[in-house]
Amino acid sequence: MTAVLEPATEPPAEQAVRLPLTAAQSGMWFAQALDPESPAQNTAECIEIHGPVDPRLFAQALHRVAGEADALRVRLVETADGPRQLPLALGPVHGGTVDENAVRFPFKAHDLRGLDDPDGTARARMGADLAVPFDLAAGPLFQHALYRVADERWLWFQRVHHAVMDGFGYSLLARRTAEAYTALAAGEEPGPSPFGRLTDLVAEDTAYRTSEAYETDRAHWNAAFADRPEAVNLAGRTALPSRTFHRRTAHIGTELSAQVKELAAGVRATWPEVLIAAQALYLSRATHSEEVVLGLPMMGRMGSAALRIPGMVMNVLPLRLTVAPQATFAELTRQVVLGIRAARKHQRYRYEEIRRDLGLLGEGRALVGPLVNVMPFDYGLTFAGAPTEAHNLSAGPVDDLTVNIYDRADGGGLRIDYDGNPALYEESELGVHQRRFLELLARIAATDPHAALAGHGICTSTERALVLDEFNATARDVPPTTLIGPIEAQAARTPDAPALVFGDTTLTYAELNARANRLAWHLASLGVRPGALAAVAVPRSLDLVVTLLAVVKAGGAYLPLDPDYPADRLAYMVEDARPAVVVADTAARVPAGVGVPAVVLDELDTSGQLGINPPRPLTPQHPAYVIYTSGSTGRPKGVVVPHGAIDNRLRWMQAEYPLGPGDRVLQKTPSGFDVSVWEFFWALRVGATIVMAEPGGHKDPAYLARTIREQAVTTCHFVPSMLQVFLAEPGAAECTGLRRVFCSGEALPRETVQEFGRTLPEVELHNLYGPTEAAVDVTYYPCDTRPGVAGPVPIGKPVWNTRLYVLDAALQPCPPGVPGELHLAGAQLATEYLGRPALTASRFVADPYGPAGSRMYRTGDLARWTEHGEIEYLGRTDHQVKLRGLRIELGEIETELAACEGVTGACVLVREDRPGDQRLVGYVTAPAGIDTEAVRDRLARTLPDYMVPGAVVVLDDFPLSPNGKLDRKALPAPAQAATGTGRAPRDPREETLTRLFAEVLGLDRLSVDDGFFDLGGTSLLAARLVRRIRDTLGIELAIGALFQAPTPAALAAQLDSGLGNDEVLRTLLPLRTTGHRTPLFVFHPAGGISWCYAGLLSRLDPDQPVYGLQARGLLGLEAGAELPASMEEMAADYVIRLRSVQPHGPYRLLGWSVGGVLAHTVAVLLREAGEEVELLSLLDAYPSDQWQDQAVPAEADALTALLRMAGYERTDELTRDDVLATLHREGSALAGLSDTTLGAVVEIVINNAHLMRAHRHRRFDGDVLFFTAAAPRPEDWLTPDAWRPYVGGTLSEHTVDCLHPQLTQAPHLDQIADVLSRRLKELDR
Amino acid sequence: MATSTLTIGLIRADVADALGEDVEDIPVDENLVDYGLDSVRIMALLERWRRDHGVEATFVDLAEQPAVEAWAPLLGVTA
Repeated sequence: MTAVLEPATEPPAEQAVRLPLTAAQSGMWFAQALDPESPAQNTAECIEIHGPVDPRLFAQALHRVAGEADALRVRLVETADGPRQLPLALGPVHGGTVDENAVRFPFKAHDLRGLDDPDGTARARMGADLAVPFDLAAGPLFQHALYRVADERWLWFQRVHHAVMDGFGYSLLARRTAEAYTALAAGEEPGPSPFGRLTDLVAEDTAYRTSEAYETDRAHWNAAFADRPEAVNLAGRTALPSRTFHRRTAHIGTELSAQVKELAAGVRATWPEVLIAAQALYLSRATHSEEVVLGLPMMGRMGSAALRIPGMVMNVLPLRLTVAPQATFAELTRQVVLGIRAARKHQRYRYEEIRRDLGLLGEGRALVGPLVNVMPFDYGLTFAGAPTEAHNLSAGPVDDLTVNIYDRADGGGLRIDYDGNPALYEESELGVHQRRFLELLARIAATDPHAALAGHGICTSTERALVLDEFNATARDVPPTTLIGPIEAQAARTPDAPALVFGDTTLTYAELNARANRLAWHLASLGVRPGALAAVAVPRSLDLVVTLLAVVKAGGAYLPLDPDYPADRLAYMVEDARPAVVVADTAARVPAGVGVPAVVLDELDTSGQLGINPPRPLTPQHPAYVIYTSGSTGRPKGVVVPHGAIDNRLRWMQAEYPLGPGDRVLQKTPSGFDVSVWEFFWALRVGATIVMAEPGGHKDPAYLARTIREQAVTTCHFVPSMLQVFLAEPGAAECTGLRRVFCSGEALPRETVQEFGRTLPEVELHNLYGPTEAAVDVTYYPCDTRPGVAGPVPIGKPVWNTRLYVLDAALQPCPPGVPGELHLAGAQLATEYLGRPALTASRFVADPYGPAGSRMYRTGDLARWTEHGEIEYLGRTDHQVKLRGLRIELGEIETELAACEGVTGACVLVREDRPGDQRLVGYVTAPAGIDTEAVRDRLARTLPDYMVPGAVVVLDDFPLSPNGKLDRKALPAPAQAATGTGRAPRDPREETLTRLFAEVLGLDRLSVDDGFFDLGGTSLLAARLVRRIRDTLGIELAIGALFQAPTPAALAAQLDSGLGNDEVLRTLLPLRTTGHRTPLFVFHPAGGISWCYAGLLSRLDPDQPVYGLQARGLLGLEAGAELPASMEEMAADYVIRLRSVQPHGPYRLLGWSVGGVLAHTVAVLLREAGEEVELLSLLDAYPSDQWQDQAVPAEADALTALLRMAGYERTDELTRDDVLATLHREGSALAGLSDTTLGAVVEIVINNAHLMRAHRHRRFDGDVLFFTAAAPRPEDWLTPDAWRPYVGGTLSEHTVDCLHPQLTQAPHLDQIADVLSRRLKELDR
Repeated sequence: MATSTLTIGLIRADVADALGEDVEDIPVDENLVDYGLDSVRIMALLERWRRDHGVEATFVDLAEQPAVEAWAPLLGVTA
């Protein structure tokens, strides 16, 4: 039988042929080269044969076909010219080789019938084989196996590397194999090979790449994707390709398949086009994107010789589709048909090349989302009459998700495989998407294709019931009460209980009620009644609460006018809302020129009014308050909230977090922010007490911590960014009387929750969410503050009588995990935007899932359900932003910017140029020379300060994307204000502060007069700075202090430990006075100033006090004052000084240079006085013996010493001025020294040089910790060993690789501080 | 079973139907790929012509030269 076969060897001429790879092959070759061990490029299929098979004949057929398919029979080697393919000689069909250049024919037959589970075993073996990567350079790049799993059932497995074969190629191979086997089985010679040659493939590819068509195609794709659309995918993120993939297989039954084909025919499309359209619809809805880009694998052989060549030809083309809810399925399908038609005209241009041309490769960005791979090729093969079924096992690498659809040979419908990258999808997730897609397909097939797509959602029926009903089962009977009724009832129940505390004053329920009643009667007489408004312009005080209660008691709705807002904005609000009265604490606070009657509390005597509750025909539908929020069109809008809504909210809150008489609620939120509503009213309804923070106190974490502690506050609220600031406050950890803290207003980061757990482990933290339009909050989530909990913090479940809908663009419910716009319905919705019916109608729309006539509010927030019925907040769908909890419509700021004189165009962004630091930046087009500060001042007249951009950038033109839209991503970061050009620091404290400012702001340097907030400082950064100052200088600073003194110079002046200009030149320099550890005394070098040790502060434990000893006379040598006559005299003086700080030992001493000699001398004196010296550390200091033969320095050398004190070696500075210029440039505080002091320094240096040379060392009986500046220097005779005669204990030496002056500079100081810290820690034990 | 013979006119009509275009817009000498002809549509046409006209050409035959004139001899059109 073997006689019928020729050994498959190549004609000699061809053996030398080294063909280049086609572009299609190169893509696959390159992918393999990136990860040579990866089996991802393996493709495989299994053909099941039902009938008798002769394995020997089968092998012969395979051998013959392999011989005929020269594109398959190659190996790929890398050469200097790039990868090349070389023909491969195959060994004989039944094992062994006849030729050492030939490879073994890769075929094995296995009879598995004797095993327990022949099919399972075969599958397992195929799976194992599929996990083996091919060796491209060795070959062969294909592999066959034939498993007999039953008497009349065989499985033919073949695996081929994708670089040499594609799906259509498989069909050619299989067909020819069946034909050859059938002929052999009939004892006939198979007909001639039907295959074309690999050389034709390569030639065609080469011709294309030099053709005009290639250029046309390139131009087409570059134009079509010039705007580089985001290719959304179901995972919402991308990942590197994995080596394997998950697969979920499902089947579309004959009935549905027939329906799909019928639908296709009805819209003049093919069934694959219908499936692609359905997939686009699913992807669009599942990703909340109207635009999607699918990847379509194309066989790429139409009109080509490749139709007869089993090889790698296929390409993937991007199909860009717009899925609008109002379009019909027929229209979407037409878009697919036309899109594919357009793509096909340019189908030879490679996918990899499109990505490269668009610059997506470098960014690791995807060109397409999921791939939809339709393989309509029904093999329908027979092997000598035995029927077969083909099963694909691997269709190649899966970057994201590939949906493979096969038309089944047996007429049994379609098979649909979901192959997913395991780095992006769990297998179960694939199953979920697949199930939803198939249900969607069934609904599409059963629906008129000319109906709007809006009728289709992607939820399965089970998911729909879950998200609409089960998650929203919040119905709860509540009595029809108002905001005020329960407060009056409580006042009657507990008249003597404390209701309100402000500073030292406490009002009982009876007192508060009576005061509010008297004002209410007065207000009622001025027309405040149900349905009417009263504006309240009162800062935080007892009167604020009294006034709010009075307005509501009179039946009116209150309109808070936050006194911190600009007058223009307040005037606008009053004019817009037309309240019956404006109540203000002082006449000055009544907005000018608004023509509304004013009630000025300072001038009002209500003693004549009744103290009893006033009557009012108030219903739950009447408005309770109106709060203005930022409006996108440039005008703030008033949200009208009815009593029933806020009453429901407060009843739910009391049921969920029961407050009792012992509870004290902190009122710190400004009245213009709706969180204040529960702070004002909740406690009063249930017998608890309100503690009012002082005006402005809400920004000061130290004040808040103190108030919470001293006033025994149990309940309070923070926006998350302020909570971060608060937790950074050292006093926060002592607020253990807190029972619960609420967060809302912006996304709550997990890190903040964890920080909260570390700081206040016993306190509950609750995350709430809600817009002003829905009575403060509509969701709630108890945070797990224990360590180790990860992932985003949900905003939680709906409150009572509230329904949450996460809806897609067609207002269809999104299943769990799928993002959509959050809509709110139920009892808490606001009534309207005051006087804005059109705006009201656009935001409060009909609720398609609620009772007839009910409304829902479109939040504009992007969210998704978790499987547990909790909502996760994902961001905004529009340009509204939340900055530190405050809601901002960028459009409002843009409108104001555009109205500024000279501005021709405006845009506002929230930037995060430093991690975690968000700020507003305005961009304008305007004539050159426009004063941006004037623009900001103009904005500050109408916008609250949090809406005024921190920087305004002037541009010639706005950057545009290729389709002409503003390209926000291309807007530049604002240039950093010119810094570091002003005054240099004048003392070590200023120097330290300047350094810390620069560090926190991420700047190289700045001057002492640069303002923290001018340079982009935010309150978050301010908290960071305050913490750094505390750790470095040991000074507790309120963040508020930074607002008052925003420059290093001003702050240094304000630090009231009183380091005035003079103090820093006194003999004792208190570098850090705080801390419980034994102080460290540091001694000045030759120049007499100890500022050089300031760098130690941030490097040593914040609890380690540090004092510097400085030379006398720095403030000027008054007549008669003399410099010390000996080292001993100087040291004795310093002993007195340091004893004033620390009367008795053990002492810790450190000195650099001359300071080391001084420290040693002081140590000897202290020991003689009977004190313990536990640390003597010398930084590159050498005993006087070593200096005695050296010349005494002159002024020039004094200047060197001055530079050295600042950490610099003198280079080309000749004069005193040169030296000062250097110090100034380097930001050294020494640059600020007065002439007097500089003169003194020169004297001191010279005097010290004399004293050094005259000094006779005595012996210190302890240990010395020595640091040597080990870089080569001219004074090479200096050695620490010279200390030996004067040290009784051990001398431990640490070398630091730097010059002597650099020792007090980073990073060398790090090294010293490291050793020193360890030693200090040992001593502390 | 008796089958009718294909004509250029019939081919154009069937192709137009498969592409969802008017028959006047289907040229005889142009590459039909540019008009939206793809493998699935060729398969569908071939299936129809096999059934109704006893055509014996293969998919590859048609896909290799996707134009009405080129197909005519393969589809048994007698000039």
